[in-house]
Amino acid sequence: MDNKIKLTVSHAPFWHDGDSICKMNLHIMLAAMPAVIFGIVQFGMPALGVILLAVSSSMFFELIMNFATKRSLSTGDFDAALIGLLFGMMLPATTPWWVVVIGAFVAIVIGKQIYGGIGANPFNPVLVGVAILMVSWPGYFDSDAALLNYQFDFKALAPLAALKHQGVSAIDFFPIKTLIMGQQVGTIGTNFGLGLILGGIFLIIKGYIRWEITISYIAGIIITALIFNLSNSGSYAGPMFHLFSGYTLFGAIFLATENSSSPVNLIPMLIYGFLGGLMVILIRNLGAYPDGTVFAILLINLINPLIDYIRPKALGRGVNNA
Amino acid sequence: MIKRPFTGLSQPKLKYDSVESDPKGPETVLMPSNILLLLNDSLDSLRTSLIKKEDQVKKGEKLSLYTESTEYVISPVSGVIKKIESYPGEFGNIKTYLVIGTEENDDFVNDFEEHADKFELEAAAKLLKSLPGAPPFETLIDPTKKIHTLVISGVDEDLASTTRQYFLSTAPEDLKEGIKILQNLTKIPKIILTVPEGFNVEFEISGMQVFNISSFYPNALPEMIMKNQLKTTVPQGKTCEDIGVCFISSEAVVSIAKACRDKKVHFEKLVCVTGKDGVQKRIKTSIGTPVKSIFKHLNIHTNKNDRIVIGGPFKGFSVFTIYHPVQPCMDSIIVQDAGIIPFVSDSACINCGKCIKICPANIPVNLLVRQLEANLFEEAKETFDLESCIECGLCSYVCTAKIPIFQYIRLGKHELLKMKTETEKEGANG
Ligand code: SF4
Ligand code: SF4
Repeated sequence: MDNKIKLTVSHAPFWHDGDSICKMNLHIMLAAMPAVIFGIVQFGMPALGVILLAVSSSMFFELIMNFATKRSLSTGDFDAALIGLLFGMMLPATTPWWVVVIGAFVAIVIGKQIYGGIGANPFNPVLVGVAILMVSWPGYFDSDAALLNYQFDFKALAPLAALKHQGVSAIDFFPIKTLIMGQQVGTIGTNFGLGLILGGIFLIIKGYIRWEITISYIAGIIITALIFNLSNSGSYAGPMFHLFSGYTLFGAIFLATENSSSPVNLIPMLIYGFLGGLMVILIRNLGAYPDGTVFAILLINLINPLIDYIRPKALGRGVNNA
Repeated sequence: MIKRPFTGLSQPKLKYDSVESDPKGPETVLMPSNILLLLNDSLDSLRTSLIKKEDQVKKGEKLSLYTESTEYVISPVSGVIKKIESYPGEFGNIKTYLVIGTEENDDFVNDFEEHADKFELEAAAKLLKSLPGAPPFETLIDPTKKIHTLVISGVDEDLASTTRQYFLSTAPEDLKEGIKILQNLTKIPKIILTVPEGFNVEFEISGMQVFNISSFYPNALPEMIMKNQLKTTVPQGKTCEDIGVCFISSEAVVSIAKACRDKKVHFEKLVCVTGKDGVQKRIKTSIGTPVKSIFKHLNIHTNKNDRIVIGGPFKGFSVFTIYHPVQPCMDSIIVQDAGIIPFVSDSACINCGKCIKICPANIPVNLLVRQLEANLFEEAKETFDLESCIECGLCSYVCTAKIPIFQYIRLGKHELLKMKTETEKEGANG
């Protein structure tokens, strides 16, 4: 048989839905944009600087690790860029450059690459970076101190810190409407509730985050906070306050849903999300940290492999009707 | 190519092609002077085969490599064997191809004639296996299978094909006759005809049931019909035939009816051809015609790195030559331009979970693929349900990381089978 034309020979299926890692990450970055732009408008050039530095240093460390581990270059899938962006969004605008670079290093190298890169990380790399910074230099995460030199036309206090230190009476400073509109002292990209929600809805509709996780996480927050609040409204803030302050929405939409460190089966996703929300409120109400999102999500990352074994029975498994 | 839906919340809707309400007849593609036949048997260089280069063959002559071979082809032409060589198939499975230079003469060896009025399954298996539509007589005579249900597929299993539906809607009389012949021949008590949703079957046969099949992939796959319509689950590692259900295409049934009526076998195969522009044409040509002749007739130009898919986009296979011949089971051909061939990556699984949502067999594909990449086949089978896979290919279709999962799965199953035969051999020897 002569083979004058060299044809492509490959395996079924011969169609693909056209999706890719790159497309997915670009969508998630796009979804984060309203909150990012809002942060830059609110906090000015320093915010832009932190975001750009976080993204570029993350991509830089990814490249270095690609060379070090002799793998093909992976910056083109924008995963490092996304990690950098989300990491930057979680920082106050005043974070010094070297803290940003160290955090990006930790996120990419320790959070992602040492496990073998994309898809192999047991914890959300962004959170690994943030957690290390929080433990090592807690001062930079004190939004009140960090943003002392800013003039705001709203109550210049970080809501959760105020709640922790001044008790429930502090809530009165923060009507829910102002919280949703991002009028709170905090980090660059996690304040603007409305923007985050829009981004979240976009991602859920596009199918790039698993809605089961986001929704059950929010349910966990609301239900747990409500129980606390009902049991003692003098000591514990209500669910809406928790939902729209701190990292809550950001965590529900962008952090808990990180692919590699979260479950994919229905029941485990629901358990995982709900536990995440529950832990956040437990840490906030009973623990030492004003916000609990970072550690709560790291904790559910830890249990993810244990619960993701709960899955539907495969077709024909254990059947014996031959 | 069907792309991801704009919203990712719902699953992609992969609608089967449906035949037009008044289907256009097929265009006829003439046989070229050299045709090719594929034999599912491998050449043994140490032995002399029954057929050799330069041998004369007659139309209707049954050709097989060795006296004990059960595999055969029936030559659709008279002529001379110009070439006989090995043809590499999937997973190192070697077939044999013959090139036959056709000659004008009216010789027709009609082995079937004497059987046509009253024939047994044995005779059918020996003579009718390569009828258009490839009737599964071997399964029907296999004493280990104990077939109790025969499903006549009036629906096409994969996308980009309307071949089976065409026979369902244009040849109801032949279909009816063929089903009756099969009923008498096999004595199988339960006969089922599958038809697309909303299709009206005009004839009735006692003992025959009609099932409407959803018009979305993968619902017409045999395993899905088992699950949804027959309400039986095929145990892991078993096939539908193993538990007594045999599938036969409507074209094969019509072919049987025609063969009995004309008292001779025929070679006209109906094929749906989808060109690079996505336009689908129906053609008929003789088994053995190289696909090149079809493309020439339809004005489809193939260039370097294009892909020719035999069968549908999900379950088909691609061939390395434009001389690949039309075969009895070939319902469709797709030609893809080099520019649109989706790219396969070597990226790791990112755990996005799309495969889990779409897998009709509830397989933990994200975990399975990790085992298969590491060649842990036993583990893949025991813990991660490799053998539940019904080979629909949907996981690869949606994979965000573009991992060739389906290929890994087939390879894994193949390796397991190899291991099994090896242990059996050792057991027999030791
Ligand atoms: S091919 Fe993929 S999607 Fe289809 S049954 Fe097998 S594992 Fe599931
Ligand atoms: S679709 Fe691909 S990348 Fe996503 S979980 Fe499945 S195998 Fe992994």
